[in-house]
Amino acid sequence: MTATVTHAELARRGDRAAVPVAIVLLVLLPLILMPLAAVFVFAFRGGPDAFLGALGSREAQFALRFSLLIAFATAGINAVLGTYTAYVLSRYRFRGERPLGILVNLPVAIPTVVVGTSLLLLWGPIGLFGRLLEPFGLQPMFAPAGVLLAHLFVTFPYMLGAVKPVLDEAQETYEEAARTIGANRWQTFRWIILPALKGGLFSGALLTFAHSLGEFGATVLVSGNLRLRTQTAPLYIFAQFEAGNIAAANAVAAVLATLSFVIFFFLLRYTGRRSR
Amino acid sequence: METMQPRRRELLPAMLFAALLVYAAWPWLPFSRAAAAPPTIVFYGFSILADVMQEGIFPAFQKQWAAEGGGPVEFVSSFGGSGTVTNQVIMGVPAQVALLSLESDADRLAGAGVVAPDSWKQLPNAGVVNLTPFIILVRPGNPLHIRDFQDLTRRGVRIVHPDPATSGGANWAIVAEYGAGARGQPGGPAAGEAMLAGVWKNVVAQAASARAARTQFENGFGDALVTYEQEAISDRQRGKLAAVPVYPSRTILSEHTLVVVDRNVRPRDRALVASFVRFLWSEEAQRIFVKFGFRSVHEPWNADNPAFGTIADPFRIADFGGWRKARREIVDDIWKERVMKRPAAR
Repeated sequence: MTATVTHAELARRGDRAAVPVAIVLLVLLPLILMPLAAVFVFAFRGGPDAFLGALGSREAQFALRFSLLIAFATAGINAVLGTYTAYVLSRYRFRGERPLGILVNLPVAIPTVVVGTSLLLLWGPIGLFGRLLEPFGLQPMFAPAGVLLAHLFVTFPYMLGAVKPVLDEAQETYEEAARTIGANRWQTFRWIILPALKGGLFSGALLTFAHSLGEFGATVLVSGNLRLRTQTAPLYIFAQFEAGNIAAANAVAAVLATLSFVIFFFLLRYTGRRSR
Repeated sequence: METMQPRRRELLPAMLFAALLVYAAWPWLPFSRAAAAPPTIVFYGFSILADVMQEGIFPAFQKQWAAEGGGPVEFVSSFGGSGTVTNQVIMGVPAQVALLSLESDADRLAGAGVVAPDSWKQLPNAGVVNLTPFIILVRPGNPLHIRDFQDLTRRGVRIVHPDPATSGGANWAIVAEYGAGARGQPGGPAAGEAMLAGVWKNVVAQAASARAARTQFENGFGDALVTYEQEAISDRQRGKLAAVPVYPSRTILSEHTLVVVDRNVRPRDRALVASFVRFLWSEEAQRIFVKFGFRSVHEPWNADNPAFGTIADPFRIADFGGWRKARREIVDDIWKERVMKRPAAR
């Protein structure tokens, strides 16, 4: 259908677009653009020195670094787990395949606060498993491990969603050919499937990274919100804002917003190029 | 040629992420770490303590501990509503020392088996570290002419109040409002309940902690805020008080209780934690609290801060039989069961 639209036709549509585009902009301005601008305006209100001062505080630096490390770890681990799950779901036929497919996508639908609560009730010191671990001095909750667990849970479907469609589309004939010339499963995966998955892996990892960087609902529960130990950047922003230190909150918020813009830009450029 | 172009394009994100990773991991990289991590004290406090602890008490104790030959010590801290902090400690956060807004939160910890019942009573001053009275903050110029709790019951006054479910300050405020009505008036308890009902029908916003309530008020919500005097003083000292404190003729002095969570203190840290706990009642620490707007448990030191206002009839929780009784009779029975369920309160 789109193939029949000529360039001339598109140009004519462009002329008539002025009014609808203006309406969309008018709606987006107070809804999205102005609130985002306000973060930057407030962040730089005291001048660049105040901004850098707020950003340079030990707690702000820790929060940003901790958030980035968790995001890297989450993206890395879920890249492996998500790809493997996608591979299993795409290449094997088994009973319970559909329920499993639904189950692994469930985290998108569950409120993050519920994720936090459930993790606490399982791994927390009074939780089902946590109680058994306690005597050994193992305590995943209120520690970096707890934050990582929560982020792995919450972002699990993103990797899967990015990789599985590519796997589903990929021609199995290449894999069969590889196997007929004696490649084992791992070799087939390494040399045939993985190269085809590169794009999906990249966008899935970016999405996971971005989401982990901004995760709040589950983190606030499982982290214990300890400054210099488990406080992520979003928790830092919330704590500082609640305490009335709006400048400190906004400096970190501006950095987080900029980071997500950059990640989103890469994502758009990459997926845009592939679909063209 | 198809393959060269994307590769160059991927260089930029790859470099950016590599730089981010190096930045993030920098303090943990082997060559950037100078010494082994010093011993830590994990401190949880109720919301308004954040400034005084981080800028005053922690640095002062670090200096003292180092001077005594104890070496460096690090503080890991978290601040929130007293009820929130209590719940977190019950859930198992690694708090070693917790300074709670009210004793009934300490009772809840004892009830959950986290600390031994009444263990805080063995601390100096029965565990009470510092005090501050409850006052009313109003908009500049006091346009609604609010002079006392009674004025908060007038129609059309919009009050910002912390939430008693999570905020210790809110519980103190409820007893302050009740006591202001009940004390020295012929009606007694009935007058107290009437005062509570009058105030609470005007509450327009409830925040999770006293600090959060003040931020809401600062952001322009409401005409009046019931809060700790310390909030008003510390804001004025920072030159960012955009409100006028009103001292009620009768109000409560809140008493803040310290608990030590022994099960979270490793044997080798016991001396350190005990020393920190003792330090909180030292003259140096108490004077720091006074400087930041808290009232010391030692009355003469309060002369240091000229900002403290005078209250005609200050009262204590002991006047209502202690928190156990007050929680049951005033907060649970009168406020929760009667005042909040009145049709007018909706």
